[in-house]
Amino acid sequence: MDGNNGPGANNSSDFVRKLYKMLETPTDENVLCSTRGRVEDLPRRKNDADEQQNEKFTKHILPKHFKHSNFASFVRQLNKYDFHKVRHNNEEGGSSPYGAGAWEFKHPDFKANNKDALDNIRRKAPAPRKPNQIADDLLPTQQMDLFNTQLVATQHQLQILQERYNELSMHHSMLLQELIGMQKTVVNHEHVMQYVMNFLQSVDGQRRRESRIANPFAPPASAQQNGTVGAGGSLLPPIEDDTPASPLQHAAKLLSETNADAILNPRNLEHMNEVSMRMNNTLTTPPPDIALRNGKRSSSRGAPPHSAASSSSIPYGDLDHMVYPVGHTNGIDPMYSEHVHNIPYPMPTKPLEPTDPRYNQPPGRKKSTQIDPGWIRQPQILLVEDDPTCRRIGGKFLYAFHCSIDTALDGLEAVNKLNGGSKYDLVLMDIIMPNLDGVSACHLIRQFDATPIIAMTSNIRSDDISMYFQHGMNDVLPKPFTKEGLLSMLEKHLAHLKKQPPGLEHMVPQPPGPPQALAHTSAKASLKSEESPATSPATVSNWNSPVGSSAADEYAHGHPGAYGIPPGSAMSQGAGTPVYATSPSGPMGAPRPPQPPPHRRQISEITGGPDDVTAASKRQQIYGSAAAAPPPMLHQPMGQSVQHPLTPLQRPRP
Amino acid sequence: MATTHSAASVKSVYSTGTDGSIVQSEDGSAGALDLGADIDAATFEQILEMDDDEEEREFSRSIVYDFFTQAEGTFQKMDSNLEKRDLEQLSALGHFLKGSSATLGLTKVKDSCEKIQHYGAHKDATGIEDELDDDICLKNCKETIEQAKKEFAEVEIALKRFYRDEGS
Repeated sequence: MDGNNGPGANNSSDFVRKLYKMLETPTDENVLCSTRGRVEDLPRRKNDADEQQNEKFTKHILPKHFKHSNFASFVRQLNKYDFHKVRHNNEEGGSSPYGAGAWEFKHPDFKANNKDALDNIRRKAPAPRKPNQIADDLLPTQQMDLFNTQLVATQHQLQILQERYNELSMHHSMLLQELIGMQKTVVNHEHVMQYVMNFLQSVDGQRRRESRIANPFAPPASAQQNGTVGAGGSLLPPIEDDTPASPLQHAAKLLSETNADAILNPRNLEHMNEVSMRMNNTLTTPPPDIALRNGKRSSSRGAPPHSAASSSSIPYGDLDHMVYPVGHTNGIDPMYSEHVHNIPYPMPTKPLEPTDPRYNQPPGRKKSTQIDPGWIRQPQILLVEDDPTCRRIGGKFLYAFHCSIDTALDGLEAVNKLNGGSKYDLVLMDIIMPNLDGVSACHLIRQFDATPIIAMTSNIRSDDISMYFQHGMNDVLPKPFTKEGLLSMLEKHLAHLKKQPPGLEHMVPQPPGPPQALAHTSAKASLKSEESPATSPATVSNWNSPVGSSAADEYAHGHPGAYGIPPGSAMSQGAGTPVYATSPSGPMGAPRPPQPPPHRRQISEITGGPDDVTAASKRQQIYGSAAAAPPPMLHQPMGQSVQHPLTPLQRPRP
Repeated sequence: MATTHSAASVKSVYSTGTDGSIVQSEDGSAGALDLGADIDAATFEQILEMDDDEEEREFSRSIVYDFFTQAEGTFQKMDSNLEKRDLEQLSALGHFLKGSSATLGLTKVKDSCEKIQHYGAHKDATGIEDELDDDICLKNCKETIEQAKKEFAEVEIALKRFYRDEGS
């Protein structure tokens, strides 16, 4: 009456043992014979003369050993255990030692006098069939399991993203600060330059006055000529003693021009920095800002250094790939269910894998019911149940889950077992039982033991359930329970015994926040897409792209769909707009209408429009990392204030 | 290759017409679905799945046959408690049989047992409204027990046919 040891406990199957026994029995020798290495079973079908034997076998021998008298069934069973019918080729005379119509079967491990080899004979794995029906049956619980895993994975992913994002934003602000520092240095340099210029000019003026005095007849035109040659040839700085005034003026003019820019730029940068400080988490993709600066730059300096931009865009483009998704998911609290709902990508396949086999299995599982949930050690389960049917089935399920089972017939026995020092990892407790009901038993057990106790009951009204919890129950498994329900219960409460992906144990007990809809679709999606993740909905490929650093066009395809979901949400407003809205108000508001190269043009057009960040950055992707908006950010301050002033300085040195 | 071949061909010969589910179906007739609406196929199948041997079904067979014994015993107890007018016991017995019939997926029997449980507890069929009159409760119990017996007899036949034991 206990379900502790099912037939599964035996190594060799019942059928094989019975078959062996049947052939050992000497009485039936006229119909069945057993010889070395092969078994012959007998009856002949086609031959009328043999019909009798056939009948004898079916009617008398089979029932003696099996619980049925069906020859076809017997044959089927043989086939299932990988016995093969022996065929006698016609060329060889077609003769079997047992007559033409004899059915002869053999199995390499089925030999007379070798009982040990019987253990090697196993039922073949059943062919997968009717996956749909079973999948449907299992769907609810399975979905929940799946969804849980999925949620965990997603959150894990989010966490990683968050970390990466934080890191990146840290780098970003570091870079910004560096840039600002750099700009300050540059500005200082310029000031120095200006002082030098002023000094030189005064020196120059003095000299001219002196030269005028000294040589009033010297033609000023020649001086001018020299000057133009010097300036046009190399932009020589006016360090040489006899440099005329015009190069000086030229240099001064250039200086003042760039100087103005240099003053504008820090504001821009500082603003960005400020933003990044203010909302540490919400600094996002810089497209609007960059585009602004592009516009400004293109207007202030006719031909931007295209080559510089494109060359620096290569590393930057990569960076952008990584930054991009982060920028959009930031501000999402991973634990906040509404955001989770918005997550545009399904879980990565990796964390799911450990549990996958189980979910994949149901179709083929049919008979191979030994589901190993992957315990570190065998869990000890106490099954408290007065009803023999439930007890046996529950025990059988637990057995299939590789648990070690002890049973108690009522609450009293359970209390005594626990009180007697038996240690269990989990107690499954029926509620209504004779002698002592489950709730009282649980209450008593709680006086001295904290083993998780799960109520198994069909009384699952909310007041019932709250009563169970009040008395120390840890969970409720509604009756009639399913195998999946039981398994998920085990996995939930015995997570510490599982070799599972970390994080699952923390997650599973939490009530799944997000709405069903997501669970349904994503669960189904990942179910279907397990073999080929790429074929699942747009979100999959979308998610893959940032990680796999795939081509830009994938962004173009994926993003609108995926990020299109949360466009109105806090993200685009919280992060995108501030940057976007305030920067144009800067000193260089004018440069909006741009005339320069095609790439730039696109971007500034976009930013000019009311597009949100999504669109802007998306198109930014489309128009290629070559044109790359980001590089200018890096390039610009240096290009404007550093590059120019430096060239004149560098020249004279050699 | 040859392995699967021979197995498949035999199967196709002997289990024609079935959808490949659990069934012992050499004649192609007895199927899980043939067990009818009285039995919840999904629940019953998961017990069949636990059978080590698909032909003999020792595990599920013994479960089912033990259940028959258990149910018959319970019905007897119900009858005697009807005579004793022990509603409380009737309710307990209803609950008891409810559990095992539910576990086997015998939906109709389970539903009736649940009603017996409620009636015995001075409730109406749904277990929500009180029904304080013992006579009415007993009468309800009696009727429902009869109904449960009938439903049980039906599933018993279906199950026995499934296990090919009509004769025995």
